[in-house]
Order: sequence, then structure tokens, then C-alpha cells
Amino acid sequence: MHISEGVLSAPVLLAGAVLSFGGITLGLKKIKKNEDLFKVAVLSSVFFVVSLIHVPIGPTSAHLVLNGLLGLLLGWSTFPSIFVALVLQAILFQFGGLTTLGVNTFALAMPGVISYYIFRRMLRGKNSLAFCAGFLCGILSLLMATLFISIALIETEKSFTALSLTLLTMYLPISIVEGIITGFVVLYIKKVKPEVLG
Amino acid sequence: MKNKKKLSFFQHKGFLNPSKSSNIGNILLSFLFFSLLQLVFFSSNPVYAHKVSTYAYREGDKIFGECYFVDGSPCKNSKVEIYNARGDKILETTTDEKGKYSFTITEKGTLRIVISAGEGHKAKYKLEGIGGETVKKETPLTQHHPSINKDEIKQIIEEAMDAKFSELKTEIINLHKQMDKVTLRDLIGGIGYIFGVWGIITLLKNKKNAS
Repeated sequence: MHISEGVLSAPVLLAGAVLSFGGITLGLKKIKKNEDLFKVAVLSSVFFVVSLIHVPIGPTSAHLVLNGLLGLLLGWSTFPSIFVALVLQAILFQFGGLTTLGVNTFALAMPGVISYYIFRRMLRGKNSLAFCAGFLCGILSLLMATLFISIALIETEKSFTALSLTLLTMYLPISIVEGIITGFVVLYIKKVKPEVLG
Repeated sequence: MKNKKKLSFFQHKGFLNPSKSSNIGNILLSFLFFSLLQLVFFSSNPVYAHKVSTYAYREGDKIFGECYFVDGSPCKNSKVEIYNARGDKILETTTDEKGKYSFTITEKGTLRIVISAGEGHKAKYKLEGIGGETVKKETPLTQHHPSINKDEIKQIIEEAMDAKFSELKTEIINLHKQMDKVTLRDLIGGIGYIFGVWGIITLLKNKKNAS
């Protein structure tokens, strides 16, 4: 899910950087209270850790992304949260790259923000509805992220449909796992601290 | 009901202040639970990963290399491109099932090896050039034994060295692989950094609010 350095052309990188910059400033403005900052920080490290741990699923496997969970809990603050984690991954492990930070941040954070607006209201309903919201949010966010990545790679890889299909089949099982995890986390938070979900 | 009991236990112990620190404790708990679960069950499996690295070495005119993902699994059937010091592409090959590649090349200068693993992943390696004519100086050996020419000696030495160093070279590749692996220490360090970064942001925000 991390695009490496030297793959994308300058206009794509610039577009990603500008879009992400907008998202990050908006996200930072949305953080009003100090308690919210803690939430962003903790979820930042959740994202950081799960991207580095590889989970086997079927014949192949990949790491979790959990951008749906971040989006659902943070809204626009997903942008700064993911950005900080990606910076550290790029510096410490050369995952992705510093020039591709903008594109990677946008591709992962934007789906989270979109899911936030789609599923936020469903969380207030019954437990079963909230679980469904979390489940669908987890699946949709990751699949949207693969779509964004495919769009970013449109120039580099020859066939857009082929690339998005490979990415889709690769990430479909993971997205289901993410959906289940997001669903259960939402249920758990709903039980112990419903005010977090708004 | 069970959860409420648990919560009051934490409050009693002073872990959670219900009025102020709200959500943090619970999110942290669930986060730790998931990450530990993953660490315990999944971290040791060799699987598809998202960073590719490569390493290559010379053996005379031949160049051997290996391309692998961050967890050590091979990067199969990927395009390998070789550029010279001026940036011109001089060769193209692919990696085999074990992620290995090799090619013969006469170029002695610095080579840049670029491997595209697809889906936006790329690995680069700079192979330093070797001096074209390092044995320029006439050695007394050739004068005493005119029957063996200089090139032959050079070749014999090179073959002997290659044989000796082949083990060392695989060892170096293994070391490279290990260096690229993400360890538990890296993860914990990374979490620390993130909290540090957000701590600084909190400080700045507080200062702004105060002024």
C-alpha cells in the first residue's frame, strides 16, 4: 500500500502533496480539545504498528491498514494521524518514501474521511447496526484506498483495470478481516465509552 | 455488565479518570490487545510484504544478485534493469522463482540496478565499479616465469578468491535481509516516536491557546 520513491511522476506527487496538505491542515484545525489529541496519537501508532506486522491470509498475505477504523473515529484528523505514521515509516524503514508521502497519505486517509461521513450516523443505532457500520466501513475504506493507489499509478502501470483488479483481489480478504476488526472495535467502544463515537 | 465492572475497577485504580481523559484508556487497551495478538500469532510467518530490497555482487564478468521483500521472502519474476554511470539502460533481465538474478557484463564502472516489483514497489542498488586495470604494475613473478602470462595468473587468483568468498557473499546477503527486517524493538521505538511527535503538537497547541 506504500508507493516507493521514484515510481511516480512529478505532477502526481505534487497533486498528492497539495491534497494531503489541505487534509492535514483541516484535520489539525478539527482537533479542539487535548483529549482528542490523545485519540489521534494512539490511533497514529495503531496504524504505524499494524502496517508493519504481516498477517497471513490464504496463500498470500499482507498487512492490515485499518484506515477505516481511523477514519470512523477521527474524521478529518485521520490525515495528520496517518501522515505522522507514514513519515516515521519512511524514515525508519524506508517504507514508501519521503517524496511519495503526499500521495500515500491522501490515498489512505481520504477513504477514511469518506467512510466517516457515510457511516457516522449508523453508529448511534443498535449494536447490530453499529457493527454493520464498522464492518462495511473497514471493507469500503481499504477498497477505496486500492482504487486511489491505482489512480496514482495510472501512468506507471500500463493497464489501469489490470492493476486495480490485482490490487482488489490482493486486498479483498484483508479488507474483510479489517471489516471484522473495525466492527468489533466499534462495538467495544460503544459499550464502554459511547461518547467517543459521537 | 461485565465491562462496566471492569471499567470501575480501572477507575478505582486510578487508570481512568472518567470526566477528563475519556476514551484514551479504552482505545489504548483495545489497540494493545490487537497488536499483541498479531505479534504473538503472525509475526513469524514469511509472507508478502511491502518493501523490496536488493543486493548484488560481482564475480569477474558476472554479476549475481538477489531481490527480496522486507520479511525475506523472494521477489519473483520481476523486471531487473541495469543502468551504467551515465544513466543509460544497458541490460534487462528478470528474477527467478527464488528472487535471484544474474547477468554477464563487460562494463567495469558503477552500475545501478533497479527492480520493479509491481504495484508501485521499487528496489534500487548501486554496485560500485571496479578499477579496470588494477594490476598495471609489473610483478616480479611474471618476470621469473615467463611461461605463465599475467592474465592467466589474474584469472586463477580470481577463481580461487570467488570460491573462497562465495560463502561469505551468501552470508552478506543474509545479513542484508536481517537488517531490513522489522523487529519488535523497531515497533516499540516507532510508537515512542509517534507519542513524542503528538506530545510536541499538544505542547504547541497549548501554548497557542494560552497566549
